[in-house]
Amino acid sequence: MPADPGLKIVIVDESPLRAAILDEGLREAGYVNVICLKERHNLLARLHAIDPDVIVIDLETPSRDVVEQMFQVSREVKRPVAMFVDQSDSSTIEAAIEAGVSAYIVDGLKKERVKPILDMTISRFRAFARLRAELEQTRTQLEERKTIDRAKGLLMRLKDLDEATAYALMRRTAMNEKKRLVDIAQSIITAAELLK
Amino acid sequence: MRRLAIGFIPLTDAATLIACAERGFATAEGLEIDLHKEVSWANIRDRLNVGLLDGAHMLAPLAIASSLGLGHVRVPLVAAFALNLNGGAITVAPELHAAMAATGEDLSTGAGTARALGTVVRARASAGQEQLTFSSVYSFSTHTYALRHLMEAGGLDPDRDVRLVVVPPSYTVENLRSGLIHGFCVGSPWNSVAVEAGVGRIALLGTELFARAPEKVLGVHARFANAEPDVLRRLIRALEAAARWCEAEENRADLVRLLAEPRFLGVRADLIERTLTGRPDVGPGGAARSDADFLVLHRGGATRPDPRHALWIYAQMVRAGQAGYTADAAREAQAVYRPDLYDVALDAPAPGNPPPAPAMEADPVGTRFGAPFDAEDLEAYLAGLGRR
Repeated sequence: MPADPGLKIVIVDESPLRAAILDEGLREAGYVNVICLKERHNLLARLHAIDPDVIVIDLETPSRDVVEQMFQVSREVKRPVAMFVDQSDSSTIEAAIEAGVSAYIVDGLKKERVKPILDMTISRFRAFARLRAELEQTRTQLEERKTIDRAKGLLMRLKDLDEATAYALMRRTAMNEKKRLVDIAQSIITAAELLK
Repeated sequence: MRRLAIGFIPLTDAATLIACAERGFATAEGLEIDLHKEVSWANIRDRLNVGLLDGAHMLAPLAIASSLGLGHVRVPLVAAFALNLNGGAITVAPELHAAMAATGEDLSTGAGTARALGTVVRARASAGQEQLTFSSVYSFSTHTYALRHLMEAGGLDPDRDVRLVVVPPSYTVENLRSGLIHGFCVGSPWNSVAVEAGVGRIALLGTELFARAPEKVLGVHARFANAEPDVLRRLIRALEAAARWCEAEENRADLVRLLAEPRFLGVRADLIERTLTGRPDVGPGGAARSDADFLVLHRGGATRPDPRHALWIYAQMVRAGQAGYTADAAREAQAVYRPDLYDVALDAPAPGNPPPAPAMEADPVGTRFGAPFDAEDLEAYLAGLGRR
């Protein structure tokens, strides 16, 4: 159990999936007051009404500038909110910014009490980024596979080759020209379309 | 080739940076610029701080706030090149504009507009109506100070008589439409976008408040400026050439097309074109407003950082209650602006573009109405405003 299971934590994230992953992580860690905010508009009023202890915000949302305003105008929130990060903790700042997230806490809340929250956030953000990169890679591979299959089909039809020979021809050309197989496949498709 | 990562926010005044990267000016100095589109000023500051960016399109007041440690951890920044002067405007909802017109004040003047706004706000207060809400793009911005100056000139207390909030530029139209805000001050092209969407009228061009207001600078970390002075010099030279190119009429069509691309501003080309030529569409029912100096990228020595502008910004921070006044902080603020680095890089004054002689104008921002700024006597200026 965390030292402060009752800390009110607000997550502002443009990605509902990532917000859900983070929400789950915080709840598993024992935090019971976690609120995900989706609205882009009137964010300040919502934060004012919730009066959170900690705000976790992703760097992809322009609303960060809205949140930062709260340090200036203390009448907007009951307690002024300050950056979690201070001069002595530059490695955490760097890790957070690189992971794509930032956090703010109410003034006076001890850093050690929120450190686990930020650490958890950073690791979940990194995991999400890895997931997204893998997904992207899979999608690209799938696209490339389709291109290669199409080019192979064209070769088989136009040159009257069997599948293995058509594929071997593309491979050999790619190696001779020091190009990727998918690039050769794309050239075949482009050429076939031009000569149609 | 030295690669540089430079951040920008999609605004017309990123023009010089974008042209520098895309039209060969960086390459000519042996630099390769990777432009990174950012969504918030806080991101720009933080990514510069941790070294993910080498430099950035930055609100001049943010560069100073960051160097003074206001509102956030202290990050010493250097502004050795000014990306533009002016370019902002104040837009209000059509209903508010109509109420201001009904006061009988002359809305074709800045002072008249300020008085009209004052009258409307007081009338609403005595009728027990909801306070008006105005937004700017960031707490530390010329836009915030322009709004506050307008309110004060209209006899209002910007902290009590109205609500001042922050709304990101790309959200302003939706916020104005839904009535969450009644007006805003933001840079181009967002005023025009609101007019185009039929939800706003441009009430004042920024130049109707200040003739030469500092806006964006190239912000770099002091660490970078110290470690790689030669790279910074090359970057300044490339930017100066790009700024000159941006303002040449024969390049305008090309510049407009470039800025309109989705990877940069992604808004309609004609809106950008009207911004660059200082003729934004103000919307139906308003006095026509145009000013050749609406957005200045290069001419008249605009790219040379003027430390008196830094002092003006610091004074506005004190005026807004964002900073307490100390002579040390004033000096520190001024030291963020580095015309010395600019001059060394360009062997300046650059040929054909001499900076204006300091003695010529007492007020470096050219305050149009309300209290004029006095860079020579900051304490008297602040005392006159009851802030000292």
